Amino acid sequence: MHTEATAAQPDVPELDLVKRCQKGDSEAFDELVTRYRTRVFGMVYNMVHNEQDAWDLAQDSFLKAWKSIVRFRGKSSFYTWLYRIVMNVTIDWIRKKQIKGSGAEFDDAIQLREIDPASKTVPKPDALPFENMERGEIRAQIDRAIAQLSPEHRAVILMKEIEDMQYNEIAESLGCSIGTVMSRLFYARKKLQNLLKDLYENI
Amino acid sequence: MKTFEEKWTAWLDDKLAGAELAAFESSLPDRAAAEAEKASVRQLRLLLKRELSPSMMTNEEFFSHQLRERIALGQASTSAHGAHSPWWTVPRLLWSGAVSVAVFALCAVWVMQDAEPLEQSQSLTQVLNARLDPTVGPDATVTMFETKENRVTVLWTEGLKSLPSDYAAK
Repeated sequence: MHTEATAAQPDVPELDLVKRCQKGDSEAFDELVTRYRTRVFGMVYNMVHNEQDAWDLAQDSFLKAWKSIVRFRGKSSFYTWLYRIVMNVTIDWIRKKQIKGSGAEFDDAIQLREIDPASKTVPKPDALPFENMERGEIRAQIDRAIAQLSPEHRAVILMKEIEDMQYNEIAESLGCSIGTVMSRLFYARKKLQNLLKDLYENI
Repeated sequence: MKTFEEKWTAWLDDKLAGAELAAFESSLPDRAAAEAEKASVRQLRLLLKRELSPSMMTNEEFFSHQLRERIALGQASTSAHGAHSPWWTVPRLLWSGAVSVAVFALCAVWVMQDAEPLEQSQSLTQVLNARLDPTVGPDATVTMFETKENRVTVLWTEGLKSLPSDYAAK
Protein backbone atom coordinates (compact mmCIF):
# COMPACT_ATOMS: atom_id res chain seq x y z
CA MET A 1 0.00 0.00 0.00
CA HIS A 2 1.59 3.26 -1.01
CA THR A 3 1.19 6.45 0.92
CA GLU A 4 1.21 8.96 -1.90
CA ALA A 5 -1.84 9.90 -3.87
CA THR A 6 -2.41 7.65 -6.83
CA ALA A 7 -2.58 9.22 -10.26
CA ALA A 8 -5.93 8.55 -11.85
CA GLN A 9 -5.95 5.78 -14.46
CA PRO A 10 -9.12 6.51 -16.39
CA ASP A 11 -8.16 4.16 -19.23
CA VAL A 12 -8.00 1.06 -17.09
CA PRO A 13 -11.28 -0.90 -17.34
CA GLU A 14 -13.15 -1.14 -14.08
CA LEU A 15 -13.37 -4.92 -14.17
CA ASP A 16 -9.57 -5.17 -14.47
CA LEU A 17 -9.22 -2.99 -11.40
CA VAL A 18 -11.69 -5.17 -9.54
CA LYS A 19 -9.77 -8.34 -10.48
CA ARG A 20 -6.53 -6.78 -9.29
CA CYS A 21 -8.22 -5.80 -6.04
CA GLN A 22 -9.36 -9.39 -5.60
CA LYS A 23 -5.71 -10.42 -5.77
CA GLY A 24 -4.88 -7.96 -2.99
CA ASP A 25 -3.72 -5.01 -5.09
CA SER A 26 -4.61 -2.03 -2.92
CA GLU A 27 -3.39 0.44 -5.55
CA ALA A 28 -6.11 -0.79 -7.89
CA PHE A 29 -8.62 -0.23 -5.10
CA ASP A 30 -7.23 3.24 -4.62
CA GLU A 31 -8.07 3.95 -8.25
CA LEU A 32 -11.63 2.75 -7.72
CA VAL A 33 -11.90 4.97 -4.67
CA THR A 34 -10.68 7.94 -6.72
CA ARG A 35 -13.36 7.25 -9.31
CA TYR A 36 -16.24 6.97 -6.85
CA ARG A 37 -15.33 8.90 -3.71
CA THR A 38 -17.10 12.12 -4.74
CA ARG A 39 -20.29 10.37 -5.79
CA VAL A 40 -20.31 8.18 -2.70
CA PHE A 41 -19.59 11.06 -0.37
CA GLY A 42 -22.24 13.22 -2.04
CA MET A 43 -24.78 10.43 -1.83
CA VAL A 44 -24.10 9.80 1.84
CA TYR A 45 -24.05 13.53 2.59
CA ASN A 46 -27.49 13.91 1.03
CA MET A 47 -28.69 11.07 3.24
CA VAL A 48 -27.25 12.25 6.57
CA HIS A 49 -26.80 16.03 6.06
CA ASN A 50 -23.61 16.20 8.08
CA GLU A 51 -20.17 16.46 6.51
CA GLN A 52 -18.23 14.65 9.22
CA ASP A 53 -20.74 11.81 9.42
CA ALA A 54 -20.79 11.55 5.63
CA TRP A 55 -16.99 11.40 5.58
CA ASP A 56 -16.88 8.64 8.19
CA LEU A 57 -19.65 6.63 6.56
CA ALA A 58 -18.04 6.91 3.12
CA GLN A 59 -14.76 5.73 4.63
CA ASP A 60 -16.48 2.81 6.38
CA SER A 61 -18.26 1.89 3.15
CA PHE A 62 -15.06 1.81 1.10
CA LEU A 63 -13.28 -0.15 3.81
CA LYS A 64 -16.10 -2.68 3.86
CA ALA A 65 -15.97 -2.87 0.07
CA TRP A 66 -12.24 -3.58 0.21
CA LYS A 67 -12.74 -6.35 2.74
CA SER A 68 -15.50 -8.02 0.76
CA ILE A 69 -14.37 -7.38 -2.81
CA VAL A 70 -13.23 -11.00 -3.16
CA ARG A 71 -16.92 -11.91 -3.05
CA PHE A 72 -17.83 -9.58 -5.93
CA ARG A 73 -18.77 -11.87 -8.83
CA GLY A 74 -19.44 -9.25 -11.48
CA LYS A 75 -23.12 -10.07 -11.85
CA SER A 76 -23.90 -6.37 -11.51
CA SER A 77 -21.78 -3.33 -12.22
CA PHE A 78 -19.19 -2.44 -9.61
CA TYR A 79 -20.87 0.82 -8.65
CA THR A 80 -24.21 -0.93 -8.12
CA TRP A 81 -22.43 -3.37 -5.83
CA LEU A 82 -20.59 -0.53 -4.11
CA TYR A 83 -23.81 1.44 -3.68
CA ARG A 84 -25.39 -1.55 -1.98
CA ILE A 85 -22.65 -1.47 0.63
CA VAL A 86 -22.90 2.31 0.95
CA MET A 87 -26.66 2.14 1.39
CA ASN A 88 -26.48 -0.67 3.95
CA VAL A 89 -23.89 1.19 5.99
CA THR A 90 -25.74 4.50 5.78
CA ILE A 91 -29.26 3.23 6.41
CA ASP A 92 -28.04 1.15 9.37
CA TRP A 93 -26.34 4.23 10.78
CA ILE A 94 -29.46 6.39 10.38
CA ARG A 95 -31.63 3.73 12.02
CA LYS A 96 -29.24 3.37 14.98
CA LYS A 97 -29.05 7.13 15.35
CA GLN A 98 -32.82 7.37 15.41
CA ILE A 99 -33.08 4.64 18.02
CA LYS A 100 -30.51 6.40 20.21
CA GLY A 101 -32.06 9.82 19.57
CA SER A 102 -35.01 11.46 21.20
CA GLY A 103 -37.57 10.32 18.70
CA ALA A 104 -38.29 9.29 15.18
CA GLU A 105 -37.13 11.68 12.53
CA PHE A 106 -39.81 10.33 10.27
CA ASP A 107 -42.68 7.98 10.45
CA ASP A 108 -43.53 5.86 7.46
CA ALA A 109 -47.00 5.11 8.71
CA ILE A 110 -47.82 8.76 9.27
CA GLN A 111 -46.24 9.59 5.98
CA LEU A 112 -48.40 7.19 4.06
CA ARG A 113 -51.50 8.15 6.00
CA GLU A 114 -51.02 11.84 5.40
CA ILE A 115 -50.57 11.61 1.67
CA ASP A 116 -53.41 10.69 -0.59
CA PRO A 117 -51.79 8.83 -3.51
CA ALA A 118 -54.13 10.52 -5.95
CA SER A 119 -53.83 13.96 -4.40
CA LYS A 120 -52.51 16.93 -6.28
CA THR A 121 -49.87 18.93 -4.47
CA VAL A 122 -51.02 22.42 -3.64
CA PRO A 123 -48.82 25.36 -2.59
CA LYS A 124 -49.19 26.32 1.04
CA PRO A 125 -51.04 29.58 1.54
CA ASP A 126 -48.49 30.89 4.04
CA ALA A 127 -45.55 30.56 1.68
CA LEU A 128 -42.49 32.59 2.48
CA PRO A 129 -40.98 34.97 -0.10
CA PHE A 130 -38.50 32.47 -1.55
CA GLU A 131 -37.49 34.88 -4.30
CA ASN A 132 -35.05 36.48 -1.86
CA MET A 133 -33.86 33.31 -0.25
CA GLU A 134 -30.15 32.65 -0.28
CA ARG A 135 -28.86 29.48 -1.88
CA GLY A 136 -27.85 28.12 1.50
CA GLU A 137 -31.35 28.51 2.76
CA ILE A 138 -32.71 26.67 -0.27
CA ARG A 139 -30.31 23.85 0.40
CA ALA A 140 -31.28 23.79 4.06
CA GLN A 141 -34.94 23.59 3.13
CA ILE A 142 -34.29 20.70 0.78
CA ASP A 143 -32.24 18.93 3.44
CA ARG A 144 -35.05 19.37 5.96
CA ALA A 145 -37.55 17.93 3.48
CA ILE A 146 -35.35 14.95 2.68
CA ALA A 147 -34.78 14.38 6.40
CA GLN A 148 -38.51 13.78 6.75
CA LEU A 149 -38.31 10.79 4.44
CA SER A 150 -37.49 7.33 5.69
CA PRO A 151 -33.91 6.20 4.92
CA GLU A 152 -35.18 3.88 2.19
CA HIS A 153 -37.24 6.63 0.57
CA ARG A 154 -34.28 9.00 0.74
CA ALA A 155 -32.07 6.44 -0.93
CA VAL A 156 -34.55 5.80 -3.73
CA ILE A 157 -35.20 9.45 -4.54
CA LEU A 158 -31.50 10.35 -4.48
CA MET A 159 -30.45 7.42 -6.62
CA LYS A 160 -33.17 8.15 -9.17
CA GLU A 161 -33.13 11.93 -9.35
CA ILE A 162 -29.49 12.70 -8.60
CA GLU A 163 -27.65 9.60 -9.79
CA ASP A 164 -30.00 8.87 -12.71
CA MET A 165 -29.95 5.19 -11.85
CA GLN A 166 -32.43 2.81 -13.47
CA TYR A 167 -35.11 1.06 -11.44
CA ASN A 168 -33.32 -2.29 -11.64
CA GLU A 169 -30.03 -0.75 -10.51
CA ILE A 170 -31.71 0.89 -7.53
CA ALA A 171 -33.42 -2.40 -6.71
CA GLU A 172 -30.08 -4.21 -6.77
CA SER A 173 -28.45 -1.55 -4.64
CA LEU A 174 -31.18 -1.71 -2.02
CA GLY A 175 -31.83 -5.44 -2.23
CA CYS A 176 -35.53 -5.05 -3.01
CA SER A 177 -37.86 -5.55 -5.97
CA ILE A 178 -38.34 -3.08 -8.81
CA GLY A 179 -41.97 -2.72 -7.77
CA THR A 180 -40.87 -1.69 -4.29
CA VAL A 181 -38.51 0.87 -5.78
CA MET A 182 -41.30 2.37 -7.90
CA SER A 183 -43.69 2.43 -4.98
CA ARG A 184 -41.14 4.12 -2.72
CA LEU A 185 -40.40 6.61 -5.47
CA PHE A 186 -44.09 7.41 -5.73
CA TYR A 187 -44.45 8.23 -2.03
CA ALA A 188 -41.11 9.99 -1.75
CA ARG A 189 -41.98 12.28 -4.66
CA LYS A 190 -45.41 13.02 -3.24
CA LYS A 191 -43.87 13.94 0.08
CA LEU A 192 -41.19 16.15 -1.46
CA GLN A 193 -43.73 17.79 -3.75
CA ASN A 194 -45.81 18.68 -0.72
CA LEU A 195 -42.79 20.04 1.13
CA LEU A 196 -40.94 21.77 -1.69
CA LYS A 197 -43.58 22.85 -4.17
CA ASP A 198 -43.39 26.45 -3.05
CA LEU A 199 -39.68 26.36 -3.56
CA TYR A 200 -39.44 24.95 -7.05
CA GLU A 201 -42.45 26.84 -8.39
CA ASN A 202 -41.05 30.17 -7.31
CA ILE A 203 -37.51 29.80 -8.60
CA MET B 1 -49.76 -6.92 -12.33
CA LYS B 2 -48.49 -3.43 -11.59
CA THR B 3 -50.08 -1.34 -8.88
CA PHE B 4 -51.34 2.17 -9.53
CA GLU B 5 -48.24 3.60 -7.82
CA GLU B 6 -45.92 1.61 -10.06
CA LYS B 7 -47.75 2.59 -13.23
CA TRP B 8 -47.92 6.23 -12.17
CA THR B 9 -44.20 6.31 -11.39
CA ALA B 10 -43.35 4.65 -14.69
CA TRP B 11 -45.59 7.14 -16.51
CA LEU B 12 -43.92 10.11 -14.79
CA ASP B 13 -40.52 8.77 -15.82
CA ASP B 14 -41.68 8.08 -19.41
CA LYS B 15 -41.12 4.35 -18.92
CA LEU B 16 -44.52 3.25 -20.17
CA ALA B 17 -44.87 2.42 -23.83
CA GLY B 18 -47.24 0.89 -26.36
CA ALA B 19 -50.48 -0.64 -25.20
CA GLU B 20 -49.57 -0.20 -21.53
CA LEU B 21 -49.13 3.55 -22.01
CA ALA B 22 -52.37 3.88 -23.93
CA ALA B 23 -54.29 1.85 -21.35
CA PHE B 24 -52.91 3.86 -18.47
CA GLU B 25 -53.53 7.24 -20.05
CA SER B 26 -57.07 6.28 -20.97
CA SER B 27 -57.66 5.25 -17.35
CA LEU B 28 -56.69 8.67 -16.01
CA PRO B 29 -59.79 10.57 -14.86
CA ASP B 30 -58.23 14.00 -15.40
CA ARG B 31 -55.54 14.00 -18.04
CA ALA B 32 -54.76 17.71 -17.65
CA ALA B 33 -54.20 17.33 -13.90
CA ALA B 34 -51.97 14.34 -14.52
CA GLU B 35 -49.88 16.29 -17.01
CA ALA B 36 -49.57 19.12 -14.49
CA GLU B 37 -48.39 16.60 -11.92
CA LYS B 38 -45.84 15.28 -14.38
CA ALA B 39 -44.53 18.80 -14.96
CA SER B 40 -44.37 19.33 -11.21
CA VAL B 41 -42.27 16.20 -10.74
CA ARG B 42 -39.99 17.38 -13.53
CA GLN B 43 -39.50 20.69 -11.71
CA LEU B 44 -38.77 18.87 -8.48
CA ARG B 45 -36.19 16.74 -10.28
CA LEU B 46 -34.47 19.82 -11.69
CA LEU B 47 -34.38 21.47 -8.28
CA LEU B 48 -32.92 18.40 -6.58
CA LYS B 49 -30.38 17.86 -9.33
CA ARG B 50 -29.26 21.47 -9.21
CA GLU B 51 -29.00 21.71 -5.44
CA LEU B 52 -27.84 18.23 -4.46
CA SER B 53 -25.40 17.27 -7.19
CA PRO B 54 -22.24 16.00 -5.55
CA SER B 55 -19.75 18.80 -5.83
CA MET B 56 -19.06 19.64 -2.21
CA MET B 57 -16.35 17.16 -1.30
CA THR B 58 -13.18 18.91 -0.37
CA ASN B 59 -9.92 17.25 0.67
CA GLU B 60 -10.44 14.38 -1.73
CA GLU B 61 -6.82 13.35 -1.57
CA PHE B 62 -6.90 13.34 2.21
CA PHE B 63 -9.94 11.10 2.02
CA SER B 64 -7.98 8.60 -0.08
CA HIS B 65 -4.90 8.97 2.11
CA GLN B 66 -6.88 8.25 5.26
CA LEU B 67 -8.54 5.27 3.63
CA ARG B 68 -5.17 3.91 2.46
CA GLU B 69 -3.92 4.14 6.03
CA ARG B 70 -6.93 2.32 7.38
CA ILE B 71 -6.54 -0.45 4.79
CA ALA B 72 -2.83 -0.74 5.50
CA LEU B 73 -3.53 -0.88 9.23
CA GLY B 74 -6.10 -3.59 8.65
CA GLN B 75 -3.69 -5.60 6.51
CA ALA B 76 -0.91 -5.24 9.08
CA SER B 77 -3.14 -6.39 11.91
CA THR B 78 -4.41 -9.27 9.77
CA SER B 79 -0.89 -10.46 8.93
CA ALA B 80 0.24 -10.04 12.55
CA HIS B 81 -2.82 -11.90 13.69
CA GLY B 82 -2.16 -14.58 11.08
CA ALA B 83 1.43 -15.08 12.27
CA HIS B 84 0.37 -15.72 15.84
CA SER B 85 -3.00 -17.21 15.20
CA PRO B 86 -3.62 -20.53 16.90
CA TRP B 87 -4.16 -23.65 14.85
CA TRP B 88 -7.71 -23.91 16.18
CA THR B 89 -9.41 -21.37 14.00
CA VAL B 90 -13.21 -21.38 13.88
CA PRO B 91 -13.50 -23.27 10.55
CA ARG B 92 -11.00 -25.84 11.72
CA LEU B 93 -12.85 -26.24 14.99
CA LEU B 94 -16.06 -26.78 13.06
CA TRP B 95 -14.45 -29.37 10.81
CA SER B 96 -12.83 -31.15 13.73
CA GLY B 97 -16.12 -31.22 15.58
CA ALA B 98 -17.96 -32.62 12.57
CA VAL B 99 -15.32 -35.32 12.00
CA SER B 100 -15.35 -36.27 15.69
CA VAL B 101 -19.11 -36.63 15.69
CA ALA B 102 -18.97 -38.77 12.55
CA VAL B 103 -16.28 -41.04 14.02
CA PHE B 104 -18.22 -41.36 17.27
CA ALA B 105 -21.39 -42.22 15.36
CA LEU B 106 -19.58 -44.89 13.33
CA CYS B 107 -18.05 -46.43 16.46
CA ALA B 108 -21.38 -46.38 18.24
CA VAL B 109 -23.11 -48.13 15.35
CA TRP B 110 -20.34 -50.72 15.15
CA VAL B 111 -20.37 -51.41 18.89
CA MET B 112 -24.14 -51.65 19.01
CA GLN B 113 -24.23 -54.05 16.08
CA ASP B 114 -21.57 -56.18 17.75
CA ALA B 115 -23.13 -56.05 21.17
CA GLU B 116 -26.65 -57.02 20.26
CA PRO B 117 -26.13 -60.81 19.75
CA LEU B 118 -24.08 -61.07 22.96
CA GLU B 119 -26.78 -59.41 25.00
CA GLN B 120 -29.39 -61.63 23.43
CA SER B 121 -27.34 -64.75 24.32
CA GLN B 122 -26.83 -63.55 27.86
CA SER B 123 -30.47 -62.95 28.38
CA LEU B 124 -31.34 -66.50 27.30
CA THR B 125 -28.77 -68.88 28.72
CA GLN B 126 -25.48 -68.52 30.51
CA VAL B 127 -22.90 -71.17 31.33
CA LEU B 128 -22.29 -70.70 35.02
CA ASN B 129 -19.97 -73.54 35.85
CA ALA B 130 -18.60 -76.81 34.49
CA ARG B 131 -16.89 -79.13 36.87
CA LEU B 132 -15.78 -82.76 36.72
CA ASP B 133 -14.70 -85.07 39.44
CA PRO B 134 -12.29 -87.57 37.77
CA THR B 135 -12.94 -90.19 40.47
CA VAL B 136 -16.61 -90.34 39.61
CA GLY B 137 -16.29 -90.82 35.86
CA PRO B 138 -13.30 -90.04 33.63
CA ASP B 139 -15.46 -89.46 30.52
CA ALA B 140 -18.15 -87.51 32.29
CA THR B 141 -18.88 -83.81 31.78
CA VAL B 142 -21.06 -81.61 33.88
CA THR B 143 -22.40 -78.30 32.69
CA MET B 144 -24.68 -75.80 34.46
CA PHE B 145 -26.89 -73.34 32.63
CA GLU B 146 -29.04 -70.53 33.94
CA THR B 147 -32.01 -69.41 31.88
CA LYS B 148 -32.87 -65.92 32.99
CA GLU B 149 -36.18 -65.70 31.17
CA ASN B 150 -37.58 -68.69 33.03
CA ARG B 151 -35.51 -68.09 36.20
CA VAL B 152 -34.26 -71.73 36.29
CA THR B 153 -30.85 -73.36 36.48
CA VAL B 154 -30.17 -76.50 34.39
CA LEU B 155 -27.55 -79.08 35.32
CA TRP B 156 -26.49 -80.96 32.20
CA THR B 157 -24.47 -84.16 32.67
CA GLU B 158 -22.94 -86.43 30.04
CA GLY B 159 -21.00 -89.71 30.42
CA LEU B 160 -22.01 -90.11 34.02
CA LYS B 161 -23.10 -93.72 34.80
CA SER B 162 -24.51 -92.99 38.21
CA LEU B 163 -25.01 -89.94 40.33
CA PRO B 164 -23.02 -90.14 43.59
CA SER B 165 -25.08 -89.96 46.73
CA ASP B 166 -23.40 -86.82 47.95
CA TYR B 167 -24.46 -85.10 44.67
CA ALA B 168 -28.07 -85.45 45.61
CA ALA B 169 -30.03 -82.32 45.47
CA LYS B 170 -30.99 -80.82 48.76
